[in-house]
Amino acid sequence: MLAELLLAALPAALPQDGADPPVGRATVYRLDSIETLDGKVLTNATILVREGVIERIGQAVVIPDHARVYDLRGSGSVAMPPLVLGQAGMLRQTTSGGGLRGKIKGIDHLQISQDQMADLREIGVLLLGVEPGGSGIPGRTSVLRTDAEAPIDALVHDLHLKMTLDISKSSKDLLRKALKDADAAIDKEAKAKADWEKARKEWAEKQKAAKEGGKEEKPADKVEKDSGKESSSGRGRGAALRQEPEQEKGKDGDNKGKEQEKGPPETFEPPKIDPNLQPVVEWVRHQRMVQVRLDNAGEWLHWLDVIGKRELPWEVVLVHGGSTNLAEVVDDLVAHQVRIHVPARISTLPSTRIQQNLPALLARAGAERIVLTPTSSGSINAAKDLRVLLADVVREGLDRSVALRAVSVEAAAALGQEDLVAPLAAGAPASFIILDGDPLDPQARVTHLVAAGEILYDRKKAEAAENRE
Amino acid sequence: MILSTLSSLLLTLCAAAPAGAEAGLAEVCTPGNAWLAQDPPAEEQGAESEQEEAAEAGESAEPEADPEPNPYLAIVGGEVHTVTGGVLARATVLCKSGRILKIGPRVRIPEGAEILDAHGMRVYPGLVAVESFGILRGRGPSIADSFDPFALNVDLGLAGGLTTVQTGDAIAKLTRGTLDGHLLATAPWTSLSYGSTSPSARRKLRQRLEGAQEYLRKVREVEIAKQLGEKDTPDVETKGVDMEAVKLLKGEKTARFRANSAKDLLAICDLLESYPMRSVIFGGREAWTLAPRLSRAGARLVITPRAKSWADDRLNRPNGWSIENGRVLWDTGVEFAILPGQTSISLGGLAGRDLLTLPMEVAFAIRGGLNQDAALRSITLDAARILGVSDRIGSLEVGKDADLIITDGDLFDYRTFVQWAVVNGRIAYDKQQASYFAHIRPRPEATAEEVAAEIADALIKAGAADDGGEGGEGDGPR
Repeated sequence: MLAELLLAALPAALPQDGADPPVGRATVYRLDSIETLDGKVLTNATILVREGVIERIGQAVVIPDHARVYDLRGSGSVAMPPLVLGQAGMLRQTTSGGGLRGKIKGIDHLQISQDQMADLREIGVLLLGVEPGGSGIPGRTSVLRTDAEAPIDALVHDLHLKMTLDISKSSKDLLRKALKDADAAIDKEAKAKADWEKARKEWAEKQKAAKEGGKEEKPADKVEKDSGKESSSGRGRGAALRQEPEQEKGKDGDNKGKEQEKGPPETFEPPKIDPNLQPVVEWVRHQRMVQVRLDNAGEWLHWLDVIGKRELPWEVVLVHGGSTNLAEVVDDLVAHQVRIHVPARISTLPSTRIQQNLPALLARAGAERIVLTPTSSGSINAAKDLRVLLADVVREGLDRSVALRAVSVEAAAALGQEDLVAPLAAGAPASFIILDGDPLDPQARVTHLVAAGEILYDRKKAEAAENRE
Repeated sequence: MILSTLSSLLLTLCAAAPAGAEAGLAEVCTPGNAWLAQDPPAEEQGAESEQEEAAEAGESAEPEADPEPNPYLAIVGGEVHTVTGGVLARATVLCKSGRILKIGPRVRIPEGAEILDAHGMRVYPGLVAVESFGILRGRGPSIADSFDPFALNVDLGLAGGLTTVQTGDAIAKLTRGTLDGHLLATAPWTSLSYGSTSPSARRKLRQRLEGAQEYLRKVREVEIAKQLGEKDTPDVETKGVDMEAVKLLKGEKTARFRANSAKDLLAICDLLESYPMRSVIFGGREAWTLAPRLSRAGARLVITPRAKSWADDRLNRPNGWSIENGRVLWDTGVEFAILPGQTSISLGGLAGRDLLTLPMEVAFAIRGGLNQDAALRSITLDAARILGVSDRIGSLEVGKDADLIITDGDLFDYRTFVQWAVVNGRIAYDKQQASYFAHIRPRPEATAEEVAAEIADALIKAGAADDGGEGGEGDGPR
């Protein structure tokens, strides 16, 4: 079902002015205001949804015949893209421990009931990124929808690799070793491939020579069968090459002629990599993003020290508590032009009462990709407070549109889900929430959660159902 | 009563300062144990001529060639206490890429250089703590991996004037805000126990050293035999030889003792005379009673002027603590560094007794008669020599690391604050920016006109020096 929804959301470019005849029944939401989050606020506007996609949006939208119409005007209704919790660590069981555990997935640690999922929908959360607990290299983030039947329905099981760092030799050595081992694994594979290519070439030449010499060619399917056998043994190619003669001897010791005719496998079988190291290797190959979690300015410098001058894909998750000196490195953080996840809260300088608004400092320094997260503490209540915290940082200086983007479209982009949550525009996925007031007003409540055209939550219906019970 | 004590101290200090400045501090005393001298970076050769040379050398290296953005930092107009080259009034210290490029009253400041206005202030080398606890975490060569460059204690250390500390056998700089250039060296120390309470430990140590000495003798014999063309010279057996002791005797390591009583100090002198080696003795409370002996034995000390142990009247000899300890040691030519009673740093604890106020401990040695130049050496150059890093830090000399502090008064005055600390040519601390002392007697901000006038003044002077020929550049005050 989810896959279907996603597929429905995929075709982004839709007919603008009836170039193609529209299909399916349209749904129309008439609203007092729309925060599109691409720089516009539309008042007294309409969203026309068809096939999971926003077909038209604006103040002058012609409502088609037979459309289902939700007229929410006059109730202070505001639509915006749904909320996304990219760092929903509060939803997982408490786990500790360190070391290199790249094979762990966030979903392995997830501890969430259907009731809690319903709670999240009620506050307008559509997407969750859940990273595994622990320190060092504890594993990979899983991405879920809040309407998933069970956690196993995760959209993505293994997204970003989480890393943590503290200011100690052991912590840095763990990361350095992982990088070194990943480099070694890549070198090993390159060498194995070179060996295989060489063996392959030599074998081919030998075959050619044999053919020219008038000998009978060995049937190709036999070769393939042999190669299949080797790859299924799961051994590295280098090892397989070395072990080959022994195996052959063991099987048919006197059949020497056949052994010579046997060539290396047709497809290259890379050496096996420790599954815990595998995501690090992918990182080094620029195939996987790393999210490094830092809670003070010193850790930032040590992180830079660990990765050195290497160009690697990573983003920063600031996980500080109430007290932080991260303001010391704001300019440096921003200069690295990486996505920054930062708690939506006012923090205090250590040993002082000086308060600072880290999200606002980052935005003012020119950070373009900011994701605001709930405070890292505890339970689902932290997520419920997100809009209140957001109001706090906006009051203290963070730009309102930056703040709203940072809890929805930016957070979705960080999870690679731009196809599901994006700024509201014609052709964009029809995913949005409707509130009965300003999103930054703590009294405003979410009345609807719409994901790719499907209404996942409708406050009136939910309350009616509750009353029936 | 306290007030009168303090004011008398202040009077002493005020009287001493100009005298020292006028004397030019030309006669820099060197402790008698010259055979132990560690790589002295030409410090006895008159720094002025050296500065002159370097100033001329520096002249050819102009900024255009350097791709690094703005590598210059100029500390302009301060009273520069070089430690090895006297005191220069209204002088400029020009730093480049973490090292001192020029020092003198007429130094041309390159375009784009960062300028610290030190008019009316004093410039000293960054202070050195030969031992510290809790300022930096971690130990050994990998100390940088445990260094939090934004830790409160780093700020406090810099506020106290420290730029380099020894901790866990690592000699590291308080490089606030960066991990670069943190580790300076590792302390080549081997702790030895030679206390009177354990005769067996003493015997064992002597045996270790005896074995090492015997080994070295054999090694020399073999070497000489080889030099004389003898063949079949067998390698010397290393089995059973304490190689750590061998390193001590070869001067590759420094023996580190803890001793306070005259009895223990004497025993160490005996040991050092039998087995000459580099040494440093922490404590030395009764050192003043046997300073000549310590001097002959080549011992170096780390003392705490306020550390007390009462004299025992039953002993028929001078004993106990003395505030004159530092003065007596200096007069006898024993090299020493000074540490406060607590080698930690914090905002708690006994005020004025830890590394937050290292110069205050030294002020008590001055009170006991130690001259101010020697006092400054004890927490700069001599501390650096004891740590074996005097080629890099400890004095303001061309070519040395640009680690210095700028104070708003005499370093040993209780009212004096460090206004700026520069580490590796980088401003690591600014009193007005750090939140802990900024509100206490805030630094009067110079008006834009004043700054402009001073810069113009400096430029005119530099221009005049250029026109006036080559001789003028870099000269100290006569």
